[in-house]
Order: sequence, then structure tokens, then C-alpha cells
Amino acid sequence: MMNSMSNVEFLKELMNRNFKVIETDVIDKYQVSFVLKQADILQALVTLRNAGWIQMSYLSAIDWPDESKIEMIYIFMNWERPVHVQIRSKIDRKDPVMPSIINIYPGAKYYERECHEFFGVKFPGNPDYEKQLILEMWDDIPPLRKDFDPQAYSDRKFTKREYKEDYLVLSDQNSKKEKREVRKERAESLKGGQKV
Amino acid sequence: MKQMKLFLGPQHPGMHGNASVHLYVDGDIIKKSFLLPGMLHRGFEKGMERHSWINNISLIPRVCVVEPDINEMAFAMGVEKLLGLEVPERAHWIRMIILELARLSIHLMAYGGLGGPTGNYTLMYHAHADRNSILDIFEQITGHRVYHQYIVAGGVRKDLPKGIEKDIHAFLDSLEARYEEYRDLGIENPSIVARITDTIMLPEAVVWELGVTGIGMRSAVGKAYDIRKVMPYARYDQVEFEVPTSTYSDARSRIDIKLKELVQSIGIIRQCLAKMPEGPVRVPMGRGQSMRWTVPKGYVYSPVESSRGEFGYYIVSNGGTNPWRVGVRGASYPQGLLGVEKYLPGTRLDDAALWIDTMGVCSPEIDR
Repeated sequence: MMNSMSNVEFLKELMNRNFKVIETDVIDKYQVSFVLKQADILQALVTLRNAGWIQMSYLSAIDWPDESKIEMIYIFMNWERPVHVQIRSKIDRKDPVMPSIINIYPGAKYYERECHEFFGVKFPGNPDYEKQLILEMWDDIPPLRKDFDPQAYSDRKFTKREYKEDYLVLSDQNSKKEKREVRKERAESLKGGQKV
Repeated sequence: MKQMKLFLGPQHPGMHGNASVHLYVDGDIIKKSFLLPGMLHRGFEKGMERHSWINNISLIPRVCVVEPDINEMAFAMGVEKLLGLEVPERAHWIRMIILELARLSIHLMAYGGLGGPTGNYTLMYHAHADRNSILDIFEQITGHRVYHQYIVAGGVRKDLPKGIEKDIHAFLDSLEARYEEYRDLGIENPSIVARITDTIMLPEAVVWELGVTGIGMRSAVGKAYDIRKVMPYARYDQVEFEVPTSTYSDARSRIDIKLKELVQSIGIIRQCLAKMPEGPVRVPMGRGQSMRWTVPKGYVYSPVESSRGEFGYYIVSNGGTNPWRVGVRGASYPQGLLGVEKYLPGTRLDDAALWIDTMGVCSPEIDR
């Protein structure tokens, strides 16, 4: 616990010795991330677990529609050597399948269910990954994918209600409607847009 | 005998928040159980992707209703890690005061919540009254009672108001004076002791299987596994405090640890007020118009020790004005979902609410 930098070094050495690490990123002395091939993931998790990273902190996915990939992300923690390890791997987006890890980390069961619900990743090996968890009777594409449009879903699903734009305005003299519109336009012009 | 299906919650004195536990009981014994979340799902992870980095301040505290400050802290720390931003010294100490006041507030609330399943409502009224004084202090500091939106990337929103130290000290003194009374009302109270001793056990092997953190883990493992200790953030490495533990985890020992943490938090706040330097409290996250602030590409996980365990934000940026993905690791995810499914069967019906209360299951952070 005393020498934290050596923990990161230890992990780097452990992963590089056993697997072909595509990318390593040391975020700080308490966190390091490795990018692996999909085929290596299960073996890497077994190695990590045997090395003492017995607590699963997080499991989720990230959608990258431009590359047509879904990136799986696993985070583990070892309290004796306090480092959070991120393991990431990109899998196919059209038919995302990732073997379940509940035999290695039983706590992953519900995380995988949630991941299936929100990203559509299949987890063979997990007995009930397909059951609904949070979204009741969902009938659209998985909502955390980037091409899911909440506005369109809401328009389709719920009846449209008319709202008065100037519900705050008491008289024309005090109207700040114009000012609001200018501000809104400006905000819209600044929105989005990737800046490199 | 025939099994019967019962619902614990959403409306139940021992069920916090909007989730329900489905129980299949045979007489008094639970045979099968699972949690049904989703009644409070607000789509925050999607919502955060659609707002700019600075806009998200107003969404974040709502992820966990009773303890909003840890959300702000985790998100702010993650963004600062991505930016490589150094926070002013004074801001670190103010953040610690806020976080520990929040810990006091939720421990009081959870301790008061014990009154529900055990039928001791006096405890609940006393604890909530004291929590209300904390909310008053929050209102003076941040302008809000519940959702403070105070800790932002780059520091805190504004400096402490003048003279607030006096109010905080007065509150801490009064709480400390009432500490013994709280013990007498709750875990030393003969009518409750028999009820909470040796119920809802949590063995050490189960802790690692579920992935439970926080008080649940420390009460079973007996080691000071606290993120504030093992990987200190803010200035937790410069204050002295102890992490109470035990090796026998029943409902009583978990509540006992909660109460001992109250004393430690009081100590931390006093040290912060004494050690806090003068100076600026915020540096801007970027330059120019705040809607255009961008964050460099990267993946970062930022954990914080909440009252219920390790609470973390997983933040991915692609260099744009909005986050690409924000994932929330709710601290009560393992015990709330898998714990209810695997470890409630075999216990008694009336103990289910005790598990929810003493393990600190918080449904807003499970749903998000």
C-alpha cells in the first residue's frame, strides 16, 4: 500500500507479459487502463482476479457509431494494492456478443443485464441477460446507442401537447420574449459541434 | 404450504425511494425475492450526453437524491483529471467540509430510517430534525437545501459566507452532545437490540462475491478499506481520522459503524475549518464562452467514498463540447440487486426492510 507507483508498474508488467496489450494509459497513480483484443478478455480477467483484483467496480459499454464498434469497459479494484484497472475492448456493433463474466465475477450479473438493455450487447453464459430490468416494455433500439433519438421516440410515444410560449408574460410591455429568443438562437448556434 | 407473493415498497416505511422488492414467502420465511427497479428511471446517462460539460451540473446531483454532493465531487474530479486541472487549495478544504456534512446528513437520515422497520419513530423524528439543521447550513453556503450544484469542475461555485464557521461549530457541538442520546435511542435501546442483533448477516466471502463496498464491506472484512484512506482525494491525506470496522457483520454492527463514522466526520470538519487557508476557490474550466468549453479526449473513472460505498463516474470525452458517455457506478448496485436476489431468501419477511436500510440501498442511483 505504501508504494503506489510500483502497483501500476506491477500491473503493466503483468499484462504485457501475458497478453498483447494494444494500448496502455496511466491516468494517475491509482488508475491505469489497458486496451485488449476481445479474445483475450476472459483470460485477462482470470489473471487479474488471481493477482488480487477481486472486486468488480463497473461494467458498461460505449457506442462508437463512426467506427461501427461498441467498446466494452470493465473496472476492477484491489484494496491491498489500491489501483483501479480499466480493461477495454472494441467489439462488432452490428451483432455485439461478449461472453458473460459471471463465472469469474458473480457480481457482474445485473451489470450485464443493464448493458444488454441499454446497448443491445448479448452475454451468452448469463442465464437471464435478456430479461427486462429498468425499461418497461421497451420497443425501440437500445436507448444509449448514439442513433437513438429521444425526441422522435417521445413524439411517437406520447400525445403532443400545446404549450403557450409566453406563459410568463403578463403584459406586452414587460415582455422579454424577444430577448429570450435572441439568447436561445445564440445558444443553439453554439451547441454541439466537435472542436478538436 | 402454499407460497404467497408480497411486495415491499414502493410505499413502505422501511423502503427508501421508488423501488419495490418482490417477495415470495412461505409463512414468515422468504423463499424467493428480487428487486424491481425502473420506477425512477430518468435517463440521466443519455441526458448528460446531450448537454454541455457545464450544463451537466444541474443534472448530476439528481442521480442520488439523498446524497447529491458525492455526485458533484465525482464528476468534477473526473473532468479535472481529463483536463489536468489544478484546483485551488482552499477549494479542496471547502469540498471536504461539504462532503462530510453530506455524510453526516445521510447517516442521520439512514439511522432515522431504522425507526421505520423497527417501529421506533422517536428516533426518526430526532434524526430528521438534526438533518434539517445541516440543510440550513447548506442553504447558507450554497443557496439550496437539497441539490446544491456547488462543487464544480475547477473548484467550488463561490466562497463560504462570512461567519458560517460559527454556525457549523454550533451544530457540530450540539450533535456531539446528543451522540450518546442517539445511541440510547437506537442501537442501545433494549426494544431494538434483540431485533437487530444477529439478523441479516453478511459473511466475508459474500462481500467479494457481490462486490459490496463501503460500510457493508468494512463491517465484514474488518479492514480500513475506505477510498478516503487507500487512495486519498481532495486533502483527506492531511486530516486525521479513523475508519471504524468490525469482523461480524449483522444489522447492529453496520449501524454501529455508521454512528462511529458520525464522530469521525465531525472531527474531519473541525480539522478542515482549522486548517483551511485563504485564497481563491475556483479556476475556470476553459477559456471563453462556457458553452464552448471542451475537454480533451480520454477515458477516466473517478471514485469517491460515499456513505454507502464506492461511488464512481466513468467519463468518456471525444474532445467535444458534450461528454461522449457518462456512466454512473451506483454504490448500492451490488447489494440492491444481486444482494436482494441471492441473500434475502432464507431470512424472515420483516428482516427484508432491515437489509434495505442497513446496507443503504438507494433506488435513484440504481435507476439513474
